[in-house]
Amino acid sequence: MNHAYSITAADLAARGRDNIPPELLSSANLIYSSPATLAFNSPGAQGFGVKRAGLAVPGSVMLLVAPACCGRNTAALGCEAALAERFFYLMQDDTDIVTGRHLARIPEAVKEVCDSCAERPSAVMICITCVDALLGTDMERVCRKASDYAGVPVVPCYMYALTREGRLPPMVSVRRSVYSLLQPREKVPSSVNILGFFSPLRDDAELYTLLRSAGVRAIREISRCADYEEYQKMAEANFNLVLNQEARHAAADLQKRLGIPSIELARLYRTDKIANQYRLLGQAIGAEFDDAPYRERAEQAIANFKNNFGRRTFAVGEWLNADPFELSLALIGSGFAVSEIFGTVGGSNFVYVKKIAALSPATKIYSNLSPSMMFYDGKDAACDTVIGRDAMYYHPNLPGVPWNDERQPFGYAGVAALFGELAHALSAKEAAR
Amino acid sequence: MKSLLKHLSPFAPDQSGAVSALFDFGGLIVICDAGGCTGNICGFDEPRWLVRRSAVFSAGLRDMDAILGRDDKLVAKLQSAMDGSGLKFSAIIGTPVPAIIATDFKALKRMAEKRTGLPAITVPATGTHYYDRGASDAWLELFKTFATEKHPVDPGTAGILGASPLDFPALDAGNLLSAALKQDGWKTVKCYGMGAGLDDVRAASAAARNIVVSPAGLAAAKYLQKTFGTPYEVRCPWLPEQLLDALPPLAGEKTLVIHQQFAANAVRDAIMKLDSSSRVDVASWFTMEPEFMCENDFHIESEEAFIEAASNGGYGAIVCDRRLRAALPRTRPFHIVDFPHFAVSGRLLEEVQ
Repeated sequence: MNHAYSITAADLAARGRDNIPPELLSSANLIYSSPATLAFNSPGAQGFGVKRAGLAVPGSVMLLVAPACCGRNTAALGCEAALAERFFYLMQDDTDIVTGRHLARIPEAVKEVCDSCAERPSAVMICITCVDALLGTDMERVCRKASDYAGVPVVPCYMYALTREGRLPPMVSVRRSVYSLLQPREKVPSSVNILGFFSPLRDDAELYTLLRSAGVRAIREISRCADYEEYQKMAEANFNLVLNQEARHAAADLQKRLGIPSIELARLYRTDKIANQYRLLGQAIGAEFDDAPYRERAEQAIANFKNNFGRRTFAVGEWLNADPFELSLALIGSGFAVSEIFGTVGGSNFVYVKKIAALSPATKIYSNLSPSMMFYDGKDAACDTVIGRDAMYYHPNLPGVPWNDERQPFGYAGVAALFGELAHALSAKEAAR
Repeated sequence: MKSLLKHLSPFAPDQSGAVSALFDFGGLIVICDAGGCTGNICGFDEPRWLVRRSAVFSAGLRDMDAILGRDDKLVAKLQSAMDGSGLKFSAIIGTPVPAIIATDFKALKRMAEKRTGLPAITVPATGTHYYDRGASDAWLELFKTFATEKHPVDPGTAGILGASPLDFPALDAGNLLSAALKQDGWKTVKCYGMGAGLDDVRAASAAARNIVVSPAGLAAAKYLQKTFGTPYEVRCPWLPEQLLDALPPLAGEKTLVIHQQFAANAVRDAIMKLDSSSRVDVASWFTMEPEFMCENDFHIESEEAFIEAASNGGYGAIVCDRRLRAALPRTRPFHIVDFPHFAVSGRLLEEVQ
């Protein structure tokens, strides 16, 4: 192994989704930890990992019950996000991790945490890790006991990195956790929740306007809830809009517990598919959306970019607010080229690989997590523009955008914003010359 | 509650110390975890990872790997990554997962060596101890594995044991420590872990003396003394300039110094040199070697114990990483002299300046 492994879209599509080469499968290799991969390879490392996500419930605090190593980086999260005062740690020692005796200390620790807070927390989220996954801890039971003892809702958040490729990966499970405190309320027909992210959509997302045009008065996202009461009003929703498939499990739980049905939308960058999705949403809720002006604005942004900067050749990463394969397909479909994609190929996005193969068979696909990426030097890359924080790491001298802001892009506004940011980055690069 | 942290976040764990000790030697480092520990180590505890590519990998363990103890699969992955890579050895670092399932690290070492044909080092870290223990174990294993031959002693050469960014929070700390020793008359200085390479480890017995700059280097120093007769001395030859500048007002005061023990002792020496009537106590959250402790020195057992000592110990000043201030009552003034400790706060001197 002395060069970075890649495969062309044509070759990968020809192999089929059941014959993905082992070099692209993280389970078949050691996992390379580069700055390009850290954010999404570690469930607690950066951005919205389990720890920060668990604190999405307004007024809550988190008690991490784990060996000291699991809480180490939380200091960085706290500094960046002013969350430091909401994290507490009950550290396990050698005996705890073998015998599970730490479980008996949790109720008292929860009470001590609550007593030490200037304001009583709305809930205590207990974050547990691989240790309790292996011990088989019944944390629901422990949380009930702690709740009775401390007089505050206590909810488990499972940061089980060991189960990342299982039925309930940590980021799926934590989404269920943060909505699990919602209590039944009378339904308000004009109320809708947006599920999927731990930070709000961009303010310019047309989804807000389209929903309001259909009579929706209250659009709630957990990250916009000012306090616990506002959060509880999410239980009034007529339906949930699921914008990230990792929230599917949480939505199913809300349907079961509170009778709130859900509709799933995907984040797309192909404007014809966005239009189709809005049409189907309209049909589902009995409304007709006038999305033409937004579509026109997005397509104009693409045209302007092409006029000003020509038919650029992109490298697209996966540490960004998009499915890298869908975004690449959108770029290719808009008349651009994509020479490289750094992404994780799986069942849900293989359909895009096949379409890319038909339009751009020579596009190379790399796995960020492959040990061979240690040798990636980008010397042979044909790209001149990059999208994604990881792609920027591989091509530090090329103009590009990280496109991974916490404010979530969605729909036509997301497309327009992406090309706006790309134009800005390219102009800045040209000005610097 | 002793094990509860209400104000501080946990300090660097043993697996971070082990990786830090081995980072500079051109090996392939596998952290035996599911991904989270590697994220913590690379993203937080190893500042060198951000500035250069390095062969640090996660084993990518999944639940069935842990339940079934599939060491053979791990070793096969390791071999695949090693093949043709030019890397000189492999190192497998433990975390809580192998600790719980009682992974046999000795067997893992044998399997890895047999499969790759190259030396392997294993450090059975558990994630429940602090970085100094992991670093100590890693350095000891490193020297046991590679420093096997007796070389002629070069009277002008000194080795530095125990240096890592976790204890000396500057990317060029190896150079700074080496330069300080050269000012003392040493012609050649090998700073293991921050500058010296694997060949220097192989030739460790050529050093006339080893200087142990943190408790984490002591076990390796004792091993080299026992094996090759290399004498060692414990001292910290370099302290940050801005810290030294801040010490004169502490002369004659009752001061508490909190850091890794040997650096804290060096601060004490510097204050006592200014005024021998000063009362300076040293404390550490980490290893306190009894033979290098003074009468009132103490180990900090918990956040509560730290708050009690700092609040009621009658100290006029506390020399420590300023991050520790977060644990102390806000309603009271404390004279804190900042002495960054990366293992505590993750701050580099470069960032402080």
